[in-house]
Amino acid sequence: MIAAPTLSSAFLDAPGQSLPSPLLKLREQRGKALVDMPLPTRKTENWKYSSRYLKLDEALAKTLPSAGKSGPGLAVAGYHVVFHNGVMVPEASDYPDIAGIEIKRFVDLDDDEARELAERLDNTLDSKAAQMARLNTARFEDGLLIRLQADAVLDQPLYIICETDASSAGTAYPRIYVDAGRHSQITLVEEHITSGSEPAMTNTVTEFALSEGAHVTSVRLSLDGDTVQHIGATGARLHANARFENHTVGFGGPLRRHDLQVRLEGPGAECRLNGVVVTQGKQHYDNHTTIEHVAPHCNSEETYRNIAADESHAIFNGRIHIHPDAQKSNANMSNKNLLLSTGAEIDTKPELEIYADDVKCAHGATVGQLNDESIFYLVSRGIGRQEARALLSMAFINELVEQIPVDSVKDTVQARLNRFFDQTFDEA
Amino acid sequence: MLSIKNLHATVEGEEILKGINLEIKAGEVHAIMGPNGSGKSTLSQVLAGNETFTVTEGEVLLDGENLLDLATEERAREGIFLAFQYPVEIPGVSNMQFLRTAVNAQRHHRGEPEMNAAEFMKLARETSKQVDLDPSFLKRGVNEGFSGGEKKRNEILQALLLQPRLAILDETDSGLDIDALKVVADGVNALKSKDRAILMVTHYQRLLNHIVPDFVHVLAGGQIVKSGGRELALELEDRGYSWLGVNEETTAS
Ligand SMILES: Nc1ncnc2c1ncn2[C@@H]1O[C@H](COP(=O)(O)OP(=O)(O)OP(=O)(O)O)[C@@H](O)[C@H]1O
Ligand SMILES: [Mg+2]
Repeated sequence: MIAAPTLSSAFLDAPGQSLPSPLLKLREQRGKALVDMPLPTRKTENWKYSSRYLKLDEALAKTLPSAGKSGPGLAVAGYHVVFHNGVMVPEASDYPDIAGIEIKRFVDLDDDEARELAERLDNTLDSKAAQMARLNTARFEDGLLIRLQADAVLDQPLYIICETDASSAGTAYPRIYVDAGRHSQITLVEEHITSGSEPAMTNTVTEFALSEGAHVTSVRLSLDGDTVQHIGATGARLHANARFENHTVGFGGPLRRHDLQVRLEGPGAECRLNGVVVTQGKQHYDNHTTIEHVAPHCNSEETYRNIAADESHAIFNGRIHIHPDAQKSNANMSNKNLLLSTGAEIDTKPELEIYADDVKCAHGATVGQLNDESIFYLVSRGIGRQEARALLSMAFINELVEQIPVDSVKDTVQARLNRFFDQTFDEA
Repeated sequence: MLSIKNLHATVEGEEILKGINLEIKAGEVHAIMGPNGSGKSTLSQVLAGNETFTVTEGEVLLDGENLLDLATEERAREGIFLAFQYPVEIPGVSNMQFLRTAVNAQRHHRGEPEMNAAEFMKLARETSKQVDLDPSFLKRGVNEGFSGGEKKRNEILQALLLQPRLAILDETDSGLDIDALKVVADGVNALKSKDRAILMVTHYQRLLNHIVPDFVHVLAGGQIVKSGGRELALELEDRGYSWLGVNEETTAS
């Protein structure tokens, strides 16, 4: 019998870096726990459809170097923080000093702050479900801590641009931790981009801790290049009456995996999770979401749409877990999928585990194709066949794109989608 | 302008059109009447290029050019317009975006510059008022949740914006209240010109009071069984179809 593949030890000899010692200790501890970590295979339930896209070659074991430079094209109007290969670049970042809001890189934390953070990192994530995120905690070189005091409100969205510089092979480990105090509010846009074209990986973890009544809106945009594998995890824990909103927009790649885990732990907490994914060529994208209704009287709304063209492969796995005490839970999940070619594949799996009796829970998943009657109607007005298909595909996801709460991101997404559909329907 | 010769068409192996002959000249208005299921919509859809139907015999010439060789979008760009009996709802595509894309596709075909959003918005708003549709309908999804009558007016709105050479109106009058009928008729009359032709399918004489046809044809069992002037419509209204040897219940099968 062939032994199950395990993580190469090369991934575990992390270079020493300038992190404060409590964080270095945490890294080391987590690294030790990963020795002989089995890698996902076809038989690993939560990687069933995706393990064949995961290519953890030795070359990726190297942490991508960060020369502290900022890549090209990062001019963002508004507040922004730039990460280059997982290390923050202060010269490329720009955000104001606002009372009650701390924005600090991990390497700048003093020992006390670092100790507190080390205790909290990973607490929002179920590391069994997001096993690859554990590698991030063993390897991060820097990170961003955002702390909002009670009632603090960030008046504009904060962009966090994570650039993977793939001029050489290796992996980047961006890390973000947001601690949103009582009744604080923040909108965060996390944008993943690539420069260079060597095989590379980005392994990213973002965590949100929401105190009572906090409102966090997060937009997550994956625009990584086509030589970059992307493994990301986002975790959020909500206390009473907190609200978490996430808009995920993803374009396919050689491997794209995002685990989103939300825990509703206080009565009245609510979340909205929207996701749009488009894939073409031989691209892949896999979204795994989990919503844990732990406390009673919580609401969750989830809407994901996938469009797969050519021979691409999109996966959606949505789990809703209603704990025994979570009476009066309200959970809605909808996943609709559009196949643009017979060679494309979409796998969708809603998973409901309901252990409370007084709950409202609705879910639906469909996989369909473009409607011939609609195409005929459009072309009968002189609209070209390919343009008609593009219009209808766009219509399939438009509602979600419209809901993206930051206009500049909405525009970027629209432009990217137009380009995607131009390419997809550019007749061979 | 349009010359239909011995046109046969099938759907799922069943023959629906069984040798249609029809000559339409520029400037003319033709009405087609006939029992349910006789093939009126099939003829309309075949002319527009719906691939659900297979043409098995015959030819259709548009100004001497073989229409059946053209794809649907090319026919539209050559000036064929079909107002659908059952307009399709397309949620997620705004009516405005749809209309502008269509107008610009046709302008592009004619080598004219595209209209920008502002220019087009102005035109569309004016035209929507002409068919008594509140401009707010431009923002909604194409036909999404429109009432039957609103859908019909939206079809005429499209015809007015696209200015086709041959407008085929498949029961655009059905389901309209008296005022809406007048609005639609005014819209169609606004389309009439010496360079254009109109082919309208209808069950009712009342539309023909507003839009006076030059010719009336009876389509039954997949063939045109009688043609005449506008007085034929009056006669059909009086006497039904049975005197023509056509069973009202007859279908193409
Ligand atoms: N897609 C289809 N599949 C099967 N049969 C069809 C299809 N389309 C039309 N038919 C059949 O073809 C025949 C003619 O239909 P058509 O819609 O052309 O009639 P019509 O004259 O427009 O009737 P009405 O006055 O009711 O609108 C009918 O028997 C109809 O059932
Ligand atoms: Mg009909």
